[in-house]
Amino acid sequence: MSDDFNIQNIAKLASINLSEEEQSKLSNDLSVILEHVQALSDLSLDEVGEIFIHPLEKELLLDEDEVRVSLTHDEALQNAPEKNEGKFVVPPSLE
Amino acid sequence: MSLKPTIGIETHIELNTKTKMFCRCAVVDTDEPNVSLCPTCIGLPGALPVPNKKAIESITLLSLSTGCKITNKGMFHRKNYFYPDLPKNYQISQFDLPVGLDGKLEIVLDKEVDFVEIERVHMEEDTGKSTHSGSGRIDSATSTALDFNRSGVPLVEIVTKPTINSAKQAVAYIEELRQLAIDLDISEGKLEKGNLRFDANISVAPEDSDQLGVKVEIKNMNSLRSLERAIEFEIQRQSKLVEKGETIIQETRHWDESKEQTSSMRSKEGSADYRYFSDPDLPDMILSDEFVEEVKAKLPTLPNQKREDLMKTGLNLDQSNTISKSENWIYNMYLDIFESTQDSSGAFNWITGELQGQMRKLEIENLPSWFESRLLSEVIVLINENKISFTSGKTILNEMLQNETTPDQVASEKNLYQDNDEESILNFVKETIEENSDIIERIKAGEDKLVGFLVGQLIKKSKGTVNPGLAKEFLLKEIEL
Amino acid sequence: MSIVNKSIRELNALFLQKELKPSELYDEIFEVTSNSEAVIHAHLKLFENENREALQNADKRFEDGNSLGLLDGIPLSIKDNINLKGSNTTCSSKMLENYVSPYDATVISNLKSQGPLFTGKTNLDEFAMGSSTENSAFGKTQNPWNPDCVPGGSSGGTAASVSVRSSIAGLGSDTGGSIRQPGAFCGVVGYKPTYGTVSRYGLIAFASSLDQIGPITRYVDDARILFEGIRGYDSKDATSIDHEFIELPSDNNATVGVIKELMEEGVSEDSKNEVNKVVDILKNKGYKVKEISLPMIKLAISIYYLIAPAECSANLARFDGVRYGLRVDGNTSYEMMENTRAEGFGPEVKRRILLGTYALSAGYYDAYYGKALQARKKMILEFKEAYESVDYLISPTTPTAAFKAGEKTSNPLEMYMSDLCTIPANLAGLPAISIPTGLSKEGMPLGVQVMSKALTDHSLLDFSELLENELAFHDLPFAWGS
Repeated sequence: MSDDFNIQNIAKLASINLSEEEQSKLSNDLSVILEHVQALSDLSLDEVGEIFIHPLEKELLLDEDEVRVSLTHDEALQNAPEKNEGKFVVPPSLE
Repeated sequence: MSLKPTIGIETHIELNTKTKMFCRCAVVDTDEPNVSLCPTCIGLPGALPVPNKKAIESITLLSLSTGCKITNKGMFHRKNYFYPDLPKNYQISQFDLPVGLDGKLEIVLDKEVDFVEIERVHMEEDTGKSTHSGSGRIDSATSTALDFNRSGVPLVEIVTKPTINSAKQAVAYIEELRQLAIDLDISEGKLEKGNLRFDANISVAPEDSDQLGVKVEIKNMNSLRSLERAIEFEIQRQSKLVEKGETIIQETRHWDESKEQTSSMRSKEGSADYRYFSDPDLPDMILSDEFVEEVKAKLPTLPNQKREDLMKTGLNLDQSNTISKSENWIYNMYLDIFESTQDSSGAFNWITGELQGQMRKLEIENLPSWFESRLLSEVIVLINENKISFTSGKTILNEMLQNETTPDQVASEKNLYQDNDEESILNFVKETIEENSDIIERIKAGEDKLVGFLVGQLIKKSKGTVNPGLAKEFLLKEIEL
Repeated sequence: MSIVNKSIRELNALFLQKELKPSELYDEIFEVTSNSEAVIHAHLKLFENENREALQNADKRFEDGNSLGLLDGIPLSIKDNINLKGSNTTCSSKMLENYVSPYDATVISNLKSQGPLFTGKTNLDEFAMGSSTENSAFGKTQNPWNPDCVPGGSSGGTAASVSVRSSIAGLGSDTGGSIRQPGAFCGVVGYKPTYGTVSRYGLIAFASSLDQIGPITRYVDDARILFEGIRGYDSKDATSIDHEFIELPSDNNATVGVIKELMEEGVSEDSKNEVNKVVDILKNKGYKVKEISLPMIKLAISIYYLIAPAECSANLARFDGVRYGLRVDGNTSYEMMENTRAEGFGPEVKRRILLGTYALSAGYYDAYYGKALQARKKMILEFKEAYESVDYLISPTTPTAAFKAGEKTSNPLEMYMSDLCTIPANLAGLPAISIPTGLSKEGMPLGVQVMSKALTDHSLLDFSELLENELAFHDLPFAWGS
């Protein structure tokens, strides 16, 4: 694991507020796991050729531009923690 | 120290497809919030993206018409960041294998042809819309409301290489790009509706340096005017700092329209780490040679080709540029009129001058259904054949815009046909000379300007039935006698 | 034999012959449920009364001779990470505790047109991350064979239910073994189809390139029937394949390979014995059996524990308290999201999200995620080569039989190692099945895994059924029925 591994930075990127206890436990856990996966980085793997996203190397199929109606307004908002005048409401989001 | 500015522009074009990029919800233009949604575009658990074929055709059209290389085996990437208007908290975009690479766009700058180089053209999806309530300013809002109708709308992002050198060039570039999008019929191109949005990256460096200066991103320019002003302001701001020996901070700045300045946005710690990786929900996108050929066959006449064709009819670059950037009916009308009259400047002047001017005055947005190009062609021909005066032509045009009629009908009714009979003209000439003997003396003494006055007198006398050109000719002949 | 122990085909025959009604079977099933649920806790939600009308209709259909097919009237349990419109889909997480699905997963809408009854939604490891169902936010599920043991995971609830017979069959999902391992631990069949043959639309994603929905059943034939009922190309899932199956011999013209690396250290003697038992049967019947080496398997855990967390870190980003699910307040929306995710996710989920975030972060992509993608490709190539000389590959399904609850929760890596045998099939997109073969020294079920190449699912099922018949393993945990 790299020297500048910083669990707080990673938690920030992942938008999870970790307690101090969690930070130290998770930092530990991750270092154990990352140590194990080090074995991969020793491998030379240049001869594998082209990588495909789909494990069976399927190609993307494009869909025709035709409207399909899906959720009603009410269905879309049915699980909203807070809503007002047809919109989802959240605490202020800063730019 | 002489500094040169370097500018790069990032443009987002909203495509005019019927449905969104990764789901088949309708793209809607409404104030009613959250009415066109599905599990995919609001990021419900278990939802999956399915790409829009028309959108891919549109981006391929745009890439081809800007001379880009088309990436045959491309993919979509997830751009990861958290923001409430981004339902999945990642945007499906393209990272290192965009649809189009390394192109250029011909533009017209200062009445000359120029080019702007294009780095890349890629496909991505739009976010929802946030409205902040409270005092209206984002940093003292009390809550934010979200409408996801726009979430998932297809966006094409075009990034130029950092080779633009002036605000004017940037504006010319956007004007050209916008027209191209309209001509390709992939976007309405309405800036006020947000169909086309742009950000600029600006830096300054010493004239002789081959390194670029620190780059500053400018956002929130909503019109071409603000684009030009913002770039000019920023170049000034950076130049002043550099001349004082101060460093430029790499940051994103916000153009303030009312204060006419750029200002620092709330700073983020460092630059964002988007953790791009290939989207496992979307297999590799293969754009075969056959597909590209099919799309190529759909290319219409592009703006630069239109300009060339127009110049071949006798217009100069500036005039051709004007017509090529006007609405399509104007382009078509010009070609029709040119074909029947072979008078390029006449056609140009009448269409861009009188016709559009009168339509504005009469508050007509679209030509009436009976108004065909040949009606205007006839007016031009009548004038060129001296059968009516220019003024009469204007009158006829005005009539035809309001009523279903023809030039001949109007000219006959209003007695506009000019008398080109030599004898009657000579009579008018003799009368005019007799009544204005003192003027004649002064003309003979060298006051050539007064010839025009005499011509005007003759026209008045003849109640506009004498062709002014002929009137002048005959008057001068008589005076010399 | 109690009717709840019968196969789908047998039950369908009884329905058609009017010797049994769907409502009668249903009542028997719910008798088992009422006796077992308090102990086993396989289900998070039961639909006992919600199905009354559907049951009446099923009864009527058979009365009138209008059956909708083999699955008509059959009680099925559904893992609670599959969207079922109008009911809670929680993924066993506080994050979605009160979330009501506004749409059906494709597999559900496929099934609805065939008439089965859904017994309820079953327990799982939170967001399908785990191998024991101990990571559920709503309580553990017990192994019906021994309540001190785990049922496996992440589809522990479905596996336990099918084993106990509180459902005839059920759906699970498999990302690194989450159908096969609980199948083996609970003594039932767990089948992961070829990637792309079953739609993922409506399956709450864990790792998109690895997830597949599949059947957990008592018999191989039941797995076949349920697979037919859910599979199919789906235009709403871009990774879905418009597929045609490739035929392989399932009789003794087939060649079978034993995976060397999964018969070495790290696997218990009991588990290896089960494989040897199967090899003996095959040899006796005249099959060619050989040893196959797949060296990349040794790196399977490393590859998986980079790819899966990376994908899940993005897949779970949508859980932020904005549009649905748990919301914990904050002064700004950033704070709200951070607080919501802190409270909504359990420790294993947080662990994987953070691991994935790190593996994708600037400067580390090439060393971790990028490397893992290349290694995955190499593994796929190794399998392809292997399948040029064998039709089927066999191995233990799990290194050991079901472990005791709490035994592996202190060290994450130890838990991950139990996926050693199952992960390769997900990485390569291959079809893989676990069939119960015998019992360990402690009397806990063990399974053998069979894999074949992509899109040979029908042949794999045929071959497995032949093995099942030869093994004649009919042991059950104690009968929870009347």
